[in-house]
Amino acid sequence: MSVPLSRRRLLGLAGGTALALTPLGCGGGGGSGQYSQPKGDVPAQYRKRQRVVIWYPYTGVTGEAFNRLVGRFNESQQDVYLEAQFQGTYDEVAQKLAAGLQARQIPELCIFSEVSWHRFHLNQTLEPLTGYFTDGFSPTEYVDSLISEGTVRGEVWWVPFGRSTPLFYYNRDMFAKAGLPDRGPKTWDELREWAPELRKLTVGGRAPRLHAYPRVDGDWMFQGAVWQWGGNYSRGMEVAIDTGGAVEAGEWQRRLIHQDRLAYLAESPRVDFTNQLIATLQESTGVMTALTREAKFSFGAAFLPEQKAFGCPTGGGGLAMLAGAPKERKEAAFAFVRFAARPENVAQWSIDTGYLPSTKAAQQTPQLRQLFAERPGYRVAVEQLPKTRAQDQVRLLVPNANKAIYGGLQKIYADNQPAQQVFTAVAEELRRNAESVRDAVARYS
Amino acid sequence: MPASEAVLPADDTALPRTGSDSAESDSAGSGSAGTGRAGTGRAGTAPGNPRTTRTGRRARHRRRLREYALFLALVAPNFLLLGVFSYWPVVYNAYLSLTEWDMIAPVKRFVGLDNYVDLLTGGEFPGVLRTTAYFMVGVVGGSLLLGLAVAVLLNQRLRGRGLVRTMVFAPHVLSGAAVGLAWLFIFDPNYGLSRFLFELVGADSPAWLTDSDRALPAIIVVYLWKNIGFCAIVYLAGLQNLPKDLYESAALDGAGPWRVFRRITLPLLSPVTFFLTVTTIISSFQAFDVIAVMTDGGPGGATTILSWYVYDKGFSDFQAGPAASGAMVMFAILLVVTLLQTRYLERKVHYR
Amino acid sequence: MTTRLRRFGLHLLLALLGVLMVGPLYWLFTSSLKQSADIYTFPPVWWPGSLRWDNYPEAWRAAPFADFFVNSAVTTAAGTLLEVTNAVLTAYAFVYLRFPGKRVLFAVLLSALMVPGHVTLLANYLTVADLGWINTYQGIIIPGAASAFGAFLLRQHMLTIPTEIVEAARADGAGHLRILYRVVLPLSRPMLITVTIVSLVGKWNDFIWPLIVTNTDTMRTLPVGLLMLKQADGYVNWGAVMAATVFVVLPVLAVFFVAQRHIVAGLTQGAVKG
Repeated sequence: MSVPLSRRRLLGLAGGTALALTPLGCGGGGGSGQYSQPKGDVPAQYRKRQRVVIWYPYTGVTGEAFNRLVGRFNESQQDVYLEAQFQGTYDEVAQKLAAGLQARQIPELCIFSEVSWHRFHLNQTLEPLTGYFTDGFSPTEYVDSLISEGTVRGEVWWVPFGRSTPLFYYNRDMFAKAGLPDRGPKTWDELREWAPELRKLTVGGRAPRLHAYPRVDGDWMFQGAVWQWGGNYSRGMEVAIDTGGAVEAGEWQRRLIHQDRLAYLAESPRVDFTNQLIATLQESTGVMTALTREAKFSFGAAFLPEQKAFGCPTGGGGLAMLAGAPKERKEAAFAFVRFAARPENVAQWSIDTGYLPSTKAAQQTPQLRQLFAERPGYRVAVEQLPKTRAQDQVRLLVPNANKAIYGGLQKIYADNQPAQQVFTAVAEELRRNAESVRDAVARYS
Repeated sequence: MPASEAVLPADDTALPRTGSDSAESDSAGSGSAGTGRAGTGRAGTAPGNPRTTRTGRRARHRRRLREYALFLALVAPNFLLLGVFSYWPVVYNAYLSLTEWDMIAPVKRFVGLDNYVDLLTGGEFPGVLRTTAYFMVGVVGGSLLLGLAVAVLLNQRLRGRGLVRTMVFAPHVLSGAAVGLAWLFIFDPNYGLSRFLFELVGADSPAWLTDSDRALPAIIVVYLWKNIGFCAIVYLAGLQNLPKDLYESAALDGAGPWRVFRRITLPLLSPVTFFLTVTTIISSFQAFDVIAVMTDGGPGGATTILSWYVYDKGFSDFQAGPAASGAMVMFAILLVVTLLQTRYLERKVHYR
Repeated sequence: MTTRLRRFGLHLLLALLGVLMVGPLYWLFTSSLKQSADIYTFPPVWWPGSLRWDNYPEAWRAAPFADFFVNSAVTTAAGTLLEVTNAVLTAYAFVYLRFPGKRVLFAVLLSALMVPGHVTLLANYLTVADLGWINTYQGIIIPGAASAFGAFLLRQHMLTIPTEIVEAARADGAGHLRILYRVVLPLSRPMLITVTIVSLVGKWNDFIWPLIVTNTDTMRTLPVGLLMLKQADGYVNWGAVMAATVFVVLPVLAVFFVAQRHIVAGLTQGAVKG
């Protein structure tokens, strides 16, 4: 191990290290107002263009579709190059962005989930978009219920992108073999009654189970369940997860898992569904295309089952712009927002993924009409849309509320703790965290 | 990181040595620095010439200053880096632990000891400490016991023991993230090895990582798999260094192997055991990557040990206050461990 | 007879131990060569019927592993070089140079060992952010470039070098840096190798810091990239994820088999001689 160390090199090395550290003494770049752009790779043919960056959470089939959309955008452009950077799950995108804001290094565009965009909005880090809608492009082109979620006091802060609702998927082959009707159950109790028939089947050496709950992000689907049982996560900003319907829904699921042994907590219910370990699945509309590709059986899609009432939340993504970037980069970035809202692009994105078509015009495109005719599953999501509603405020506005709730659900699913006990603790945490944003919510929303 | 972290306290175990030879080091320092002693020698040979002595002294003085400067130049980068990235963070972290800050807002709100009060009085933190304690007992106790057993086995004259020693040690150097992924697939109740092993005895595989009661044991198993080799290798070296004559006299006394092991081997190995206890405690406190890949601290907080808590609060919840105060608690615990270690070593020195 | 039985039993135990330790790695390597169908199947396939090498290029394409490799190599090499250089210079200074209050300084150096990485995480992130080093090589490398333990080990070793040798070199008129390079370093070779390898392995496997400090694929290191791939493809394409895991594991295993002796020597150093 003879590293040739000459005196000069040795001193150079030591000096270099010391030199590299000197900015610390002057306070570094932290104080200035400038935000830098995350580094990346620009292909040679795009080097001369204005580079803008978007952070996104899509993986697998959806990730490929997203990159195709970005690719088409870059081909369509003369001046702008958009670089798509994958950051992990929705939550991880938000985490990286928060860390990036701290480090003053941010992308121009970012795709948030419905639980994180408010946090950045309340912290005044998002760019108001209304002023960018020019040349005949208007917010009214989006589906009203979707764009309204991103509009606060008349100002558009994010546009719908990759919006979804949960859907109920079922294994049609299994249902047929078990002698069950080819439809989703009307109520959860009906589904439970179907269990004995399904349990008689054997697939891959085992009797399939009825259902599985996801380890992470189960709180989105559970928002629907809470409504179905007549409860709420919160009424306005008043936390209600420790009362009524929420607790009943939790208890019902707990019984299904621990007493009936018909369901379980899964790493990925979707993978278990494609491998026929479970007969039914609640998942985002956004996995429709992936499921179609992965499943070796025929599956159906249906509205969510009811219990006391129908309840289905909207969810999924929003496309927002960061306020910190310089003006010319923001202008350039909006070109992508515009591009992604063109009817043919909205339609293609929906076809590629299963996400809801977010503009009115897209729903009338020949591509989507044809898809709806050929694959009724895609239509179900669009038909269910008018019945859905925005989620209870606490989940949307309180930082980390989603984690607190799905963490609580894990305790019910994996540890068989009584729902009341779990949700009492969750409610306490939510109330505490709600305090930290109460003023900001009153001011900005 | 694990490799270097794991070996940390070796220095402290060797502290008595450090103590005894630091004097030696000083003499070696001035001796080998040479100039000092050589200068004196020269002055001695020419006692009659006051000018030489004075210039000699001045030269010596200059040389000494130059030596000081060189010393500073050599250690400065290291100390600068340590200052910025090891010492300062502790101070800064202590400050952060007294604030409420979401890491986005421009100002940190000073809240005094509120974060500590919150930690200790309610919510999840007592549970985190309990989980950490289980985890530590499982990993530290398990690594030591199994490591010793493996070392004793490897110390027998058996064919293939060299190969097995390599196999046992290999996991220790692997990336925790990679190891976590490999085991994720082993523990999977539907597609993994676990299902096969359990169906051999006609049972359903437990859903290891999605079951609150089993997730922590599963994580412990992975860390044991990773750690045993290290403990075994160190114990083995200890066993091979034991004085042979004691055993010979014990054999003459007709003591059975178990008795010999308990009466002679174990006590003689106690410094090694102590060293390993401290090292595994320190490295286990930093356990992170396997958990990040396998469970994210779940389900329901079942695998949230202190290190995960600090990361999760800081970098996923963006609650700097709780994260920093959790980190201070960890620091305090490790400080106590290190102090105990120093106390023990001092005692050992006195016995000598 | 009983001794033979006993020896047989011990060999059996030894074999079992070997299987337990290697089993998970075997499962990893074979899974990395399985088709999807072979992975999601029961009973498990012990040896994939047809080896699917495609998992490797697939993993390579699924995430920019070429970049991850370069990043890991650069940060590991530079980080190790800096850390070892720091260790050598510091150790030499403490052994061969006079300085007032040297002993106190040495205690200060050692006390850095008591600061666990998780305590520095948040503050270091903020420092590195202030420096504008997020998502850069220096951001990954510099915070780990100091050496306390390595410096300690090397110092202990240098103290065992007979003073006469160094004296002789000095009598020949050699300066400190020449002595360091020509005399002390060659004599410290085994310990230098140990310190280097421990640092090398530690940096290659480092996870939490690169995870926090990087945010684009162009800067991520292998273990972090692996986590990203798992998030993206985890349960859908296990073969590729396992193949990617092999990417991460293989180089370290190679180093390990070549340099096992030195690693063991280094790790057992302090423990047994204490």
